[in-house]
Amino acid sequence: MANKAFARGLLIALFFGIVFFAVIPVYVQRPSFIPGFAPPPDMWPRTVSLLGLALGLLAMVSAVLGTRQARREASSSGPAGWFSQHRGGFGRLALALTAFAGFVILTPRLGFLASSMLLALACFVLAGASKRLVTILLLAVLLPLGLQFFFGHVTHTPFPMGSWGVMPTLP
Amino acid sequence: MWNELLFAFQSVATLANVLAMGAGILGGVVIGAIPGMTGTMAVTLALPFTFYMSPVTSILLLVALYKGSTYGGSISAILVKTPGTASAACTVLDGWPLAQQGKAGKALNMALVSSCIGDFLSNISLIFLAAPLALLALRVGPPEYFMLMAFALTMVASISGGSLLLGVVSACFGLLLATVGEDMYGSFRFAMTEDMKSGLSVAPVLIGLFALPELLRLIFFRDDGQGQAMKLGDNRLTLSEFRGSLKSIIRGSFIGVVLGAIPGIGPSSAAFFSYGEARRASPNRENFGKGELEGIAASESANNGCCGATMIPLLALGVPGDVITGVMLGAFMIQGLTPGPLLFQNNLNEVYMLFIGMMFSSVLLFGAGKITVRFFSHIARIPQVLLAPIVLMLCIYGIYSISSSMFDVTVLLIMGAVGFIMLLLDIPPAPFLIAFILGPMFEDNLRRALAISRGDPSIFFHSVISWIFAGLIVFFVGLTIRREWQKSRENRAARNA
Repeated sequence: MANKAFARGLLIALFFGIVFFAVIPVYVQRPSFIPGFAPPPDMWPRTVSLLGLALGLLAMVSAVLGTRQARREASSSGPAGWFSQHRGGFGRLALALTAFAGFVILTPRLGFLASSMLLALACFVLAGASKRLVTILLLAVLLPLGLQFFFGHVTHTPFPMGSWGVMPTLP
Repeated sequence: MWNELLFAFQSVATLANVLAMGAGILGGVVIGAIPGMTGTMAVTLALPFTFYMSPVTSILLLVALYKGSTYGGSISAILVKTPGTASAACTVLDGWPLAQQGKAGKALNMALVSSCIGDFLSNISLIFLAAPLALLALRVGPPEYFMLMAFALTMVASISGGSLLLGVVSACFGLLLATVGEDMYGSFRFAMTEDMKSGLSVAPVLIGLFALPELLRLIFFRDDGQGQAMKLGDNRLTLSEFRGSLKSIIRGSFIGVVLGAIPGIGPSSAAFFSYGEARRASPNRENFGKGELEGIAASESANNGCCGATMIPLLALGVPGDVITGVMLGAFMIQGLTPGPLLFQNNLNEVYMLFIGMMFSSVLLFGAGKITVRFFSHIARIPQVLLAPIVLMLCIYGIYSISSSMFDVTVLLIMGAVGFIMLLLDIPPAPFLIAFILGPMFEDNLRRALAISRGDPSIFFHSVISWIFAGLIVFFVGLTIRREWQKSRENRAARNA
């Protein structure tokens, strides 16, 4: 029972269940007056999340009953074994997601150019290109510089310069 | 008519027109190939340059940009798993697996050939079917749109990969995400921040879902040898491969023409629709999603098949079908031409010149495509560990440049993480995307039709068009259930044996 298919079904059911029971009542506005014939704004999100919830439960049931898909996946190692096998991967993934979040947080302060240089460097290193140090350093600096120059001149995009003013403005 | 066409041919074959079309096609292909830069952006950027051109040259330049960018989207879809435009999202499904197998050139050539054929047939239909298709488009109201969207959603079964259940779950995620923002009556849904009130744009969701998981996969499974450069392999498309995909190309072009003529549907829906139909009809259906040339042919012929057809409601009725034709409507007006029935009375010569110029541009598309295929296929030589972060940078800059919004960039990055979780859980991303694109049209037309009928659901069965789509829905759902049942019976028999 403790296989990937069951865990996936559980996650799907949990997601749609939370949306249906907790998120929609709070975040979907229902006007005080709705004419009898006009479907309210929460009709569609409720329908979809209910369907998703039912499908998640169905996925769990079929995993328990041991359908074709579940059996195939159960033959591979269980979730616990899989997690320990990919511990390094999870660490790198967490760092990559931190780099993404850092980019969003730092852009208003450092500016778009400096933040994207840092993000590019982090991604090159995390993807495993650190052996080509000179190449990735050059790419991490020149690529954002070139892209900012291109988009700044072709589409006249105003990129955030950052409140800390660490990067000079491009010509 | 033939005399007018001959005269138009002579008038169009000038150096200025050919240069404008050539530059438009080439520029469009390059812009379309850059993730985040769309055909709409290309057409809008070129608009100021058209002020100094003759009316026909200026419209031909804009049409060429549109066509070029629609094809260009397939280049990055195949080579870096990043659809340059939403209409190329379906091309990723088979294009990327082919590139990984060292058949990037073959995939690019199939995309080019099918795009050109789709485009050519679309132009022919524009000349001969403008009037009847425009009339058909006029008869499509909310109930018919709803039935059409419901039928289009049945294609989820065709793009679900191994599991229909997970495909439908993925579509539910897409439908739910599409409800974020203001609804048709002004109520806000899931608007947790101020930015979310205007909803989520297609471009960051699309690119985040398809392009970024590849980088995260590389980071996560670093040691599986996927970081190396892809092999270029044999690039030529053989006659037998072309012949094997011809049916899908013709079918896709036809789907593109019909859906393109209906305002609001767009090339991305047509591409998914055509892909679904090709998979249903193909003897190689098991190969779809694993690197099937026919899949690329179906998707690319349909999205380019829309290009000429979107001009039908614009020229015949003065109704722009999408944002690009909306910009073109502006270009027509700037040049003193008013699209609509009167255009065919007052400016017939210009209309025929436009028709002939569009035929020319199909040929130019082939030439520009051949040049760029040779150039772009070298991207496959870049090692993946370098290419994936480069693509991330292109995506971030491209998405930011669309509306100068950090919110869109945040959506892009979040969708990348969501796409990677879906990848880990074996949930296919394609149904998510098609549901995200079709969801708002499906819901709006459902609610609009029910509002018109004061809640009476029989409105969905009042017209012949609705009945046709209802019949098709029943037929294809039945067919899918039968296939799934047969598949499970075969698997059971194989296990017992």
